[in-house]
Amino acid sequence: MTRFIRWQGIIGFLSVIIFLAAFVFIFAGSFIKAGLEKSGEWYLGAEVNVEEVEVNLFPLSLTIIGFQATDSEKPTHNMVSFSKAAVSLDVWQYLLGKIYIDDLAITQLEMDKKRKSPGDVYFTSDSKKSGEVKDATNGFTSIDTSLPSIDSLLKNANLETVKQAKRLQESYKAEQAKLAGIQASLPSKEKLADYKKQVKSLTETKVKSIADVDKVTKAFTELKDKFNADKEIISRAKTQLLQSKDLLNAQIQQLKNAPQEDWLAIEKKYQLQSVNTGDFAHIFFGEQAREYLGYVEKAYQKLSPLLTGKSATSKTVQTRKNGEFVYFSEQSPQPSVLIKKAHISLILTQGDIVIEGQALTHQHWKGEQLSVVKMYSSNLQGQGEFTFDMTFSLDKQQTLKSDGKWQLANLSVADIAIQKSSALSLSLNQAVVSAKGTFNLLADQVVSKNDIAINKADFNGEASSSLSSMLLETITSMDNLSLNVNAKGKITSPELTVSSSLDKQLKNVLQKQLSEKLSNFKGEINAGLNKKLASALGDGESKDKAFIDLESLISTVDGSLTDLLNSDVTQGHKNQLKDKLKKKLGNLFGG
Amino acid sequence: MLTLLVKLFQALNSESSTRQISLAISLGLIVGLSPSLVLHNLIILFVVFMIRVNLGAFILAVGVFKGLSVLSSSFVLFIGESLLNSSALYGVFDSLYQLSFFKLAHWHHTYTLGALVLGTLLSLPVYFLSKYLIEEYRIHIKSFIEQFAIVKALKASKFYRLYLSMSDQGGIS
Repeated sequence: MTRFIRWQGIIGFLSVIIFLAAFVFIFAGSFIKAGLEKSGEWYLGAEVNVEEVEVNLFPLSLTIIGFQATDSEKPTHNMVSFSKAAVSLDVWQYLLGKIYIDDLAITQLEMDKKRKSPGDVYFTSDSKKSGEVKDATNGFTSIDTSLPSIDSLLKNANLETVKQAKRLQESYKAEQAKLAGIQASLPSKEKLADYKKQVKSLTETKVKSIADVDKVTKAFTELKDKFNADKEIISRAKTQLLQSKDLLNAQIQQLKNAPQEDWLAIEKKYQLQSVNTGDFAHIFFGEQAREYLGYVEKAYQKLSPLLTGKSATSKTVQTRKNGEFVYFSEQSPQPSVLIKKAHISLILTQGDIVIEGQALTHQHWKGEQLSVVKMYSSNLQGQGEFTFDMTFSLDKQQTLKSDGKWQLANLSVADIAIQKSSALSLSLNQAVVSAKGTFNLLADQVVSKNDIAINKADFNGEASSSLSSMLLETITSMDNLSLNVNAKGKITSPELTVSSSLDKQLKNVLQKQLSEKLSNFKGEINAGLNKKLASALGDGESKDKAFIDLESLISTVDGSLTDLLNSDVTQGHKNQLKDKLKKKLGNLFGG
Repeated sequence: MLTLLVKLFQALNSESSTRQISLAISLGLIVGLSPSLVLHNLIILFVVFMIRVNLGAFILAVGVFKGLSVLSSSFVLFIGESLLNSSALYGVFDSLYQLSFFKLAHWHHTYTLGALVLGTLLSLPVYFLSKYLIEEYRIHIKSFIEQFAIVKALKASKFYRLYLSMSDQGGIS
């Protein structure tokens, strides 16, 4: 036995194990710190700093101290930072290949905090979607200027009318080139005259015998082959002309429909249909609502890839390179990553918010338990109370489903600019806001209903037109105002409706004026679009004449060739011979 | 690295059994291909310490095959993914998955399983190949190489003195 076994080896083995354990215990913190910094920098594209990482083995827990992730778009500030994060890990599940965090606690989580020194930036995100959201609402900055500039709208190269007109012009060019080629290949007038001359010559040829008739017939057959070849060219020209006409007619029809499509698109983009019904709250508060919705969308854009695992391709490649766990059936299926309890204290300039999470995972179909996120604050802007409850789950197809509600009470607001334009500037000097809302999210489709009550309102502003003066007067006379803000559709571009008690009060006063204004606006836009249409079609009329001329030419040439083909060149000769024969026979039989 | 090479030459030129060195190399292959901290590596390490295999050759083999594993990683992943995602083997892996040992060993991880399977499959030919090469080395190449002037020069070098000093001390077998 001792020939194969060396019992002293057990000491060597234990020494190695102890050495490895000691190595891990001593250096794990440094390795994790380096790992967090490197992977954070790889993911965010900017400098990530971790002051210290402490690892405790019994029970296994990790404490990250002084985390700072630079904002790649604003390197002087951190995108996110926290003073301490403590994570306690289920060791057994970790050894079995799953990450179960029993408790996650993050203290003093802060966003957009100024760094001591600017962080390094490695790459920046090219997404500017929040800007786009704001741009889309710029048309509502005031009543007088709420409608976008007609000139800028008509100059937009994305207008269907402009696109269709350009397409039609290109098609005209392409089809004309084709037809010019065919026109060149058509038999010329000289050629036709020559054909006629040849036919005439054959017709008038003196024949004396059957052999002469055969000669004429043969010559005419050769001539007919040429006619048929030319007829073939004419047939191709006709087909091409027909195709070109069909194509251009279809495009002309599309061009004629384009102004209507453009108007519908403009109506939809600037939500003019709702303006038309006297939706004044939308005009006033739509921009603010969109701004807040922009934050929600930004958060969704950041969080959604993390939840659904649809993040950068390089990350997928990285996972593939390192391999991945494959899970089989379990008696009581559990997700591969689970945060059982999370507690985060978020510090914002508006106040402190506590965020609590339960059963946070991305594989809800395994545990049949919904993830829960709750937020609350009692010192928003001083005395404001805020609560937020949300549940979410992802199914096997990684479709996100979420329901939630939120509530805000006694929130003091001051100096909020609502409108700032040459025609009307309106600001809310002070007010107490209470609000509540619900939302449902399925994949990227959101339905949200929100009620906002603005109490003890003190509005202030300036107006430079009669229309805006009337609006200002009505609004400033109000102490309380309730708003209903609803959002529906794709979360990145939801359809927003804002209604209010304000609507009813202002509707009667201003509907007439606004209707007139909208009517004028619509008239001017449609006139501009129709002018573009007329200009494009006007060009087409001269080109249409060229098409008609060509059609007429083809028809004339075709007719001439048909006549030539139908010429009876030999019948005259045959008759001549018959007469001659009759004469001779008559003489012979004494006639 | 110099010490490790010395250890290898020492083992090759020593009276160690060719089987001990070959077994060390083939076990080193499995450990070298696999991720470092996995259960089957600890078991192999235990086996290496407990049975009489050449530790120097084992450590060197682990180092060499760890380096080579960078080149073979995509093939290792392919094997692991093919096995674990195979519908024909689903029943087998599903049964094995019910055992805590299977999960503890991370054999449901594509890279770990691929490395273990590839390492195990290659270990047998590597064992016989290295055994053959060591025997050939000892019979023919060693004496043949020693005739070269460069070897004679090497023998006068620091490397050789280190080698001799370790040989005198008995080294690690």
